[in-house]
Amino acid sequence: MKRRILIQSIRRGWHTLISRKVFLTCLILVPLAFIFFFIDMMDEGVAMKVPSAVVDLDHSSMSRQVTRTLSSSELVDVSRKIESFHEGVTQVRRGDIFGFFMIPADFQRDALSGRTPTITYYCNMTYFVPGTLMFKGFKTVAVTTAGGLVQTTLVSAGMNSGAVSSMIQPVAIQQQGIGNPWMNYNYYLTNSFVPGIIALMVALVAAYSICEEMKRGSSISWLRDAGGSMVVALVGKLLPQAVVASCIGVLCQAIMYGFNDFPMHCPAWHMVLAMIMLVVASQAFAVIVCCTLPNLRFAVSICSLCGILAFSIAAFSFPVEQMYPSIGIFSYILPVRYYFLIYIDQALNGIPLYFSRWYYVALMIFPLVSFVGLPRLKKHMLNPVYLP
Amino acid sequence: MKANDNGGILTWFATLYKVWRREFRLVFSDIGVMLFFFFLTLLYPVIYTLIYNPEIVTDIPIVVVDNSRTPQSRELVRMIDATQAIKVYDYAPDLRDARRIQNEHKAFGILEIPGDYAKKIGRGEQAVATFYSDMGLLLRYRAFVGSLTDVQLALGAKIQQENIGRLGLPAQSLGGLPVESEAVMLGDPTQGFASFIIPGILVLILQQSLMLGVCMLAAGSSERRRRNGGVDPLAVPAGPLTTIVGKVMCYVCLYIPICLYVLHLVPMMFSLPHIGNVGEYMMFILPLLIASSFLAITLSVFVTERESSMLVIVFTSVVFLFLSGLTWPRYAMNGFWTLLGDAIPATWGVEGFIRMNSNGSPLAEQTHPYMMLWVLAGVYMITAYLMTRYLYPSRRRDGLQVY
Repeated sequence: MKRRILIQSIRRGWHTLISRKVFLTCLILVPLAFIFFFIDMMDEGVAMKVPSAVVDLDHSSMSRQVTRTLSSSELVDVSRKIESFHEGVTQVRRGDIFGFFMIPADFQRDALSGRTPTITYYCNMTYFVPGTLMFKGFKTVAVTTAGGLVQTTLVSAGMNSGAVSSMIQPVAIQQQGIGNPWMNYNYYLTNSFVPGIIALMVALVAAYSICEEMKRGSSISWLRDAGGSMVVALVGKLLPQAVVASCIGVLCQAIMYGFNDFPMHCPAWHMVLAMIMLVVASQAFAVIVCCTLPNLRFAVSICSLCGILAFSIAAFSFPVEQMYPSIGIFSYILPVRYYFLIYIDQALNGIPLYFSRWYYVALMIFPLVSFVGLPRLKKHMLNPVYLP
Repeated sequence: MKANDNGGILTWFATLYKVWRREFRLVFSDIGVMLFFFFLTLLYPVIYTLIYNPEIVTDIPIVVVDNSRTPQSRELVRMIDATQAIKVYDYAPDLRDARRIQNEHKAFGILEIPGDYAKKIGRGEQAVATFYSDMGLLLRYRAFVGSLTDVQLALGAKIQQENIGRLGLPAQSLGGLPVESEAVMLGDPTQGFASFIIPGILVLILQQSLMLGVCMLAAGSSERRRRNGGVDPLAVPAGPLTTIVGKVMCYVCLYIPICLYVLHLVPMMFSLPHIGNVGEYMMFILPLLIASSFLAITLSVFVTERESSMLVIVFTSVVFLFLSGLTWPRYAMNGFWTLLGDAIPATWGVEGFIRMNSNGSPLAEQTHPYMMLWVLAGVYMITAYLMTRYLYPSRRRDGLQVY
């Protein structure tokens, strides 16, 4: 008997899911479109060849040497020729270039006679990624230019050229980026934003489909079909959605880790499990919101506001421990935060599952908490009131 | 369309005024729309800035594995500990232990100093220490790289001076490097995260809140039409052009004070880069408002229920954020995405506003984004007209067509 009711409830949920185009669009089309969008847009991984320029006020053989070194850098594209500082600043403001490298007048003369000329480079930091890459490219050239000059001086003073190079850089700190040594932006953003979108869409559809029953006044028949049990009714409604969303989520993971060779240093099931738990936790999040505010518009609004803020508060780019504590604490009520931490631990760093155990537990807590509000939700479902 | 042939231009303006006035009433009688237009624009800029307002990443914990245990290696660690970005959380006897500490999420990097570190410095060879960085967040890695490079240069210059002095080489090379270099950061001199991302986000908030509100208004009208046999009782009888122009005028009027708050007061409150001229960027943002309103009216035919406007518009915020080139620069996108970005008002709005607000560019230097915004305003006005004219089920009421 119980099983028949459950099956009946699931069948009803399945029918409402496939009969609404907007649900299927949100659960299937949007995540797939997003993953295509991210992977295709950031195909290159690193935004090399930042448009920039050299302002050569010296026009000497040495300054041309520096310009050639800059041209050979993969980070900057200094093909533009600019004749003055003023022109450089104007072009930065117009957005034609992101910065420029300035070699002062009398550079060669001063450098050779020991009067220490200063190379100045200007980087527009209003765009972080190109600004940072360009800064790195410019700094490398500025330092190697100075190093090259020391080398020339020392060798001409009779020093062994082998010993000179270690003298120019007596200490080196090798930097190893574990898991993503290429600093590939695609790996970094797709891994965080696509689950974010899936979580957002799952929560929206869940909240919408639950509260819609109230708006249409069909919530009583919904409960009746489930034998009067709120849990059965919710399972019937949310399970079909969870299955569809999990399949799409795992497909997204397959596209990332399988077809596009994103770093994954853990057994695949660690991530698959995390994805399924993320979907369920996001649904539970939506249920909690619906219990608190049983009104279609409010519930959907809260879910979308949280979902959009999640991209910032879940600290995909700015670390939580650096945020104001009163803001950072909100990152822990978002399911996608835990998925993101699992991804870093498991797929990126490949550390033992033991160290990520609490993140999985946290994802499990969301469904448990959602049970608390069910009596309240049931009461509202039995007296559906739609406030336009 | 021929609604006003008995009146001429004055009647047209009178109808326009009626549409404008009615739209005002509709906005202020709808809590949902008010929420988007006023509450969202009031609160979101503040929330976003509060999230990123600490600006920079400081004192990231790392673990040190010092196999050298000499004054030289301790000096290196002291110098690294003294940087703004890095804090030495602990020493570990070997890499395995250091990794355990990192796995427990207590540190985000490991510095390994080899046993022959001091020996090599003493012999005049290059001493190499290795730093293993967690790549979970690129912002941390960026802070690590910057600080470690600075330490490497400073320590290197110091050792180099000592060595050269010992060798008795020409005094000329004693004064440090023969060429100095200096980096100047434009627009965001502190390299803060909020200073970088908020100006762009502000423009996006303007566009998205406007689109959400307009779509919800349109969906409300569409729901009323469904209830009343295809006629919206609250719509003013007017031609499609009059209707859309009147509505957009209402939205623009509402958004001018909002823009002043979002674009001027918010950066001021949080001391973000803010060196543009208020009058000029208000002029600049005007076509953005017009273009976004028309775009929203165009898109609103797809939204037939008040609540589904959320579902349709919300996720586009993320798309528009990326298309604007704020996180991934536009020059590195392929042609298709650049083209798609070109069609979004916020792309040009973000680009122009950032340069005016952070780089202090005058409007005269932003001709390209400014013209593009006006072009988009024109294009979306035509699409909005066509959508209103042909796609809405029009019914005659009192001899006049209602759109």
